[in-house]
Amino acid sequence: MRRLNILFIGALLMAIGCSAMAQEAETEPFIFEQPVLITSIGQSAGAAQAKILALRAGIEYVYEQRATLEQLEGMKTLIVVPGASGKGLGAAGVDIDGELAWATELIDRAEELGIQLIVLHIEGQARRGPSSQLTIDVCAPRATHIIVKGAATEEDAAEMDEVANGNFDFMFSDLAAEYELPISFVGTTLDVVPVLQELFGIEADDE
Amino acid sequence: MSRKLRNVLHYVAVIALAVIVSAVGATAFEPTSHDIRPGPGVHELRWLSDYHPSLKGTPGDTPVYVMQGEEPGGSFLMLGGTHSNEIAGVMAAVLLVERGRVAKGTVYVIPHANNSGTRMNDQSPLTITIDGQTATYYDPYPLEYFEFTTPSGEARAFHYGTRTTQLEDQGIPDPEVYVHAQTGYELTGWESRNLNRAYPGVADGTLTQQIAYGITQLVITEDVNVVLDLHEAPQNYRIADMVICHPRALDIGLFAILDLEAAGLPLKIEQSSEGFRGLSHRELGDHTNAYAFLIESSNPAMNWILDPDANDYPDPLENMGSRVWLDLKALQGLLSTYAMFEPQEDWIELVYPFDLDDLEGAYLGDFLR
Repeated sequence: MRRLNILFIGALLMAIGCSAMAQEAETEPFIFEQPVLITSIGQSAGAAQAKILALRAGIEYVYEQRATLEQLEGMKTLIVVPGASGKGLGAAGVDIDGELAWATELIDRAEELGIQLIVLHIEGQARRGPSSQLTIDVCAPRATHIIVKGAATEEDAAEMDEVANGNFDFMFSDLAAEYELPISFVGTTLDVVPVLQELFGIEADDE
Repeated sequence: MSRKLRNVLHYVAVIALAVIVSAVGATAFEPTSHDIRPGPGVHELRWLSDYHPSLKGTPGDTPVYVMQGEEPGGSFLMLGGTHSNEIAGVMAAVLLVERGRVAKGTVYVIPHANNSGTRMNDQSPLTITIDGQTATYYDPYPLEYFEFTTPSGEARAFHYGTRTTQLEDQGIPDPEVYVHAQTGYELTGWESRNLNRAYPGVADGTLTQQIAYGITQLVITEDVNVVLDLHEAPQNYRIADMVICHPRALDIGLFAILDLEAAGLPLKIEQSSEGFRGLSHRELGDHTNAYAFLIESSNPAMNWILDPDANDYPDPLENMGSRVWLDLKALQGLLSTYAMFEPQEDWIELVYPFDLDDLEGAYLGDFLR
């Protein structure tokens, strides 16, 4: 009987240990690797902002407003910033359909190369119109991680500037839940910096 | 009436207008004067004609306030009143002249960049194209002046003008199509009187082109490092609360808006378009060494542009403290970020005898002299 108890306790401890390890494995954050290619889907100014955020986070990056497939070579992570700008698309000489086709091709190629995808939405409601939604739909479901400047909850939304809230209708929350994707919400664009540092395992500078 | 006769009458009318314009135009009006009370930060009053003598005595001539820093540094030009009905930019420039001081560098302030536009609010219809849609609207405000009462109880009046150079000042009637002199870029005819479609200007051109030329010459002569042109836009228009940056200045703008957002002032940002010519940020960035920016604060009274059927027009003075705060706070952010990119000998530092954040939501008259 005593032997059984010891075995049971041992098994229990092992089980707890395994469970704890499994839990630890499950909760251990995915660390993204560098270098990073940063580009826009929809040709808004958000990707240029992402470049500044990456610089501030200490990430090794290449920024190209409309990246080529060749620029994916040697990259470990692709950061795309969705958001349609009529002016930006015009300057790039493409329409929204052409942009979406290009984005699909880029992400397909990134997947073939084993490049992880971060979707970064930082331009608030201004980039949540119908065309911008298309740029989100083409990339967000395929993301390894999503970062959104927006409110995660009703309480957060009440405290956030309405125009700045890219998740005002909880679209991103619902999308992340549907596709079981990790998602981070930030209150200001600058708050993206520590999130990127955490995702890339970069220690923040003491200031 | 035959087509031939109609054509003849048309040419006669054009010639008659040209004769009238030349008779009463450039020589009929002097530069409009304004109630601006320079503070201790101002060291010299110049005129735009100091940089382009052909403007002397014309309605396009305008004061240039020179503010010398306590320490040498870079140089900065602020333009208010490019469009004389976008009054927050005018008042931001006035406040800088009256209350600001320069700790480092030299600052040039032109509160009424297109002084001709300030003489009267002509309310004539303008065809405006916004986001590909063209419509004819007019400024519904009968205002000629607006007032602020200062802490001493004095009511001070400021001109409320029109978007363009006055037709009689321009020297020639509006063409059917305005062609930007340097690029051939075409716009509807009245845009020939829009200062912010005329850069870098033409030395012997129309009055509007000459004003643009004078400002460009100032930037070149004084080796200006940073230019900021202050505008306003309808609240619900894409460019409201936006910083527009020449491509060379984009990184400065991007860094600045991150810090400004964290400091409670969220702004949008765009880069100058390659294909939209004649604008200050595009052409001064291309034709001079300056980092060129344009800010659009949101003016609730300009919503008529996007909603021509609206009949309940808000007060053009609404939120004026906050609109001026946006301009000056954004400027502070841009100059701080500019200092990250450029050597210390080119830095520009402005100081005020009050906390800039006190302007947000405040009555602007409380800050004027």
